[in-house]
Amino acid sequence: MRALDWVVLSGTILSIVAYGLYRGRGSNTVNAYLLAGKSMPWYAMALSIMATQASAITFISTTAQGYADGIRFLQFYLGLPIAMVILAATAVPIFHRANVYTAYEYLEKRFDSKTRALVSAIFLIERGLADGVALCAPAIVLTVVLGWPSHLTIVIMGALVVAYTVVGGIKAVTWTEVQQMVIIFVGLAAALITALWLLPRGVGVGDAFHLAGAVGKLKAIDLTFDLDNRYNIWSGILGGTFLFLAYFGTDQSQVQRYLTGKSIAQSRLSLLFNAVAKIPMQFLILVTGAMVFVFFIYERPPLLFDPVELQRIQSDPAYAGVDQRYRSAFEDRRGAARELVECHRSPDAAQYARSLAAFRGAQNELEGARADGVRMVEKATGRGFTDTNYIFLSFVTHYMPAGIVGLIIAVIFVAATSSTAAEVNSLATVSVIDIYRRHIRKDASDRHYLWASRIASAFWGCYVVVFAEYALHRLGSLIEAVNLVGSLFYGGMLGVFVLAFAFPRVRGTAAFTGVLAGEAAIFWAHFATHISFLWYNALGCIVVVVTGLALSWPASRQNQVSSQ
Amino acid sequence: MSTVPDDPPPFLGTWNRVYAAVLIYLALLIFAFYVFTRVFEP
Repeated sequence: MRALDWVVLSGTILSIVAYGLYRGRGSNTVNAYLLAGKSMPWYAMALSIMATQASAITFISTTAQGYADGIRFLQFYLGLPIAMVILAATAVPIFHRANVYTAYEYLEKRFDSKTRALVSAIFLIERGLADGVALCAPAIVLTVVLGWPSHLTIVIMGALVVAYTVVGGIKAVTWTEVQQMVIIFVGLAAALITALWLLPRGVGVGDAFHLAGAVGKLKAIDLTFDLDNRYNIWSGILGGTFLFLAYFGTDQSQVQRYLTGKSIAQSRLSLLFNAVAKIPMQFLILVTGAMVFVFFIYERPPLLFDPVELQRIQSDPAYAGVDQRYRSAFEDRRGAARELVECHRSPDAAQYARSLAAFRGAQNELEGARADGVRMVEKATGRGFTDTNYIFLSFVTHYMPAGIVGLIIAVIFVAATSSTAAEVNSLATVSVIDIYRRHIRKDASDRHYLWASRIASAFWGCYVVVFAEYALHRLGSLIEAVNLVGSLFYGGMLGVFVLAFAFPRVRGTAAFTGVLAGEAAIFWAHFATHISFLWYNALGCIVVVVTGLALSWPASRQNQVSSQ
Repeated sequence: MSTVPDDPPPFLGTWNRVYAAVLIYLALLIFAFYVFTRVFEP
């Protein structure tokens, strides 16, 4: 980091926090603190929804996926527009008319208090775990860039989140996220343009895309149906729809965003904006990762992107051999890439086929050498290892020009604090509204619940920090870890809301039992089968609905007989 | 349940038309990405 980077980084962070707190002033009632007095316009909610989901992980881990695995992860988002349309048509008017603070408050109006308490508890566990994982990402950034111990960076980030959430309330968080998304779009465009700009002379944008596509990095759509294949069009459209229905329809961290809307129409527009904008945005991020891959075809990357683990294995006697193999494979791949670019422009099909095979062979050899390095780390540490989360940061800090580095780091930093703050705010809301006010202290003053909300925010901030410490170095690709944690719980939550919205005869006990059955089915699928986690939401939802309907059938049958 | 007004969308007249437009947009996106995959996968 150079002086200009520090100026950009500190200036961006300070201006965003100051603006958020300025816009959040006057949050001195529970309604203002948790729902912004239902005063938000659609564009603020839309960008806030997007920012809450697009945390620092989006930059660090999704670009790494584009680099390592190609852009097939894009298919994960194909169900999002479908989910948004369904929610805009169903959940938004129901929640608005129910006049609730949380989605789970509605469950008591529709079913009973035990169903509300169960689903609230599931949300608190799920969101608490996922939020902890999300806080690891900026800690990784600061560890790499500043060399700080990762546990210290997590504590510092957590402290900032706690202070920001406790003071600002949802209005401050929302307006902060609006400004943040503008900076994210600017940073994203700057990263992609810079990655293309840094390609060697003679390699155009078309050549770069061709090289990435030659080794399968640009496979956006995979039509094969395979339950074990994590990303294909079917898991994206079917599994993804269930996941996003659950995330945007039952997760309080998102429901709370559109509950702040001035009207049903404003809330609907905020969801539909995401339906249109999210997939192109993810495409841009993944392609940036793929272009970083092309950049590293010509510029030799380190054997491992994690500098600490690379240093650890350099003292191993086997390292010299692995490094030699890696350097040799890199030179072969660079040569094969040059030849492939030349052949790509010539009409000789046979020579092109030979060049393509040579390039792919060299890529396999390079990946084999890298895998040897990974195995050395695993042998030395005695645990699994992946360095994917360091790829984009390594590129940014070593190759991007002054100013852009500071901008990208600022984007990652602010994205993490802002989305974590929003999620801590939703955890506090559920703790106070669905647990404390409902079961512990029923008739206190508004001021009492406002302070309870602030204390709950501080508690959840500390909890998230503790779990982030645990998650660091233990989970693989962060974005997959977050989605996996969500998928273990979302199916049950989605199922109970489907029962609530679509089956008026189902009562509380049937819904409650259905949620327990759905969660049991998901955990069975996770521990006893190889089914991709994207299908867990569909499985859990179906089991909840079938169980709820089956248990309600005798009662509704009895009612029919009685009425006759 | 309170009576919250359900305003029409600012464009296309009805919400059902807006939803249809979003789903058509999704279909076009998937087709575009399929073409993209075929073009860059030798």
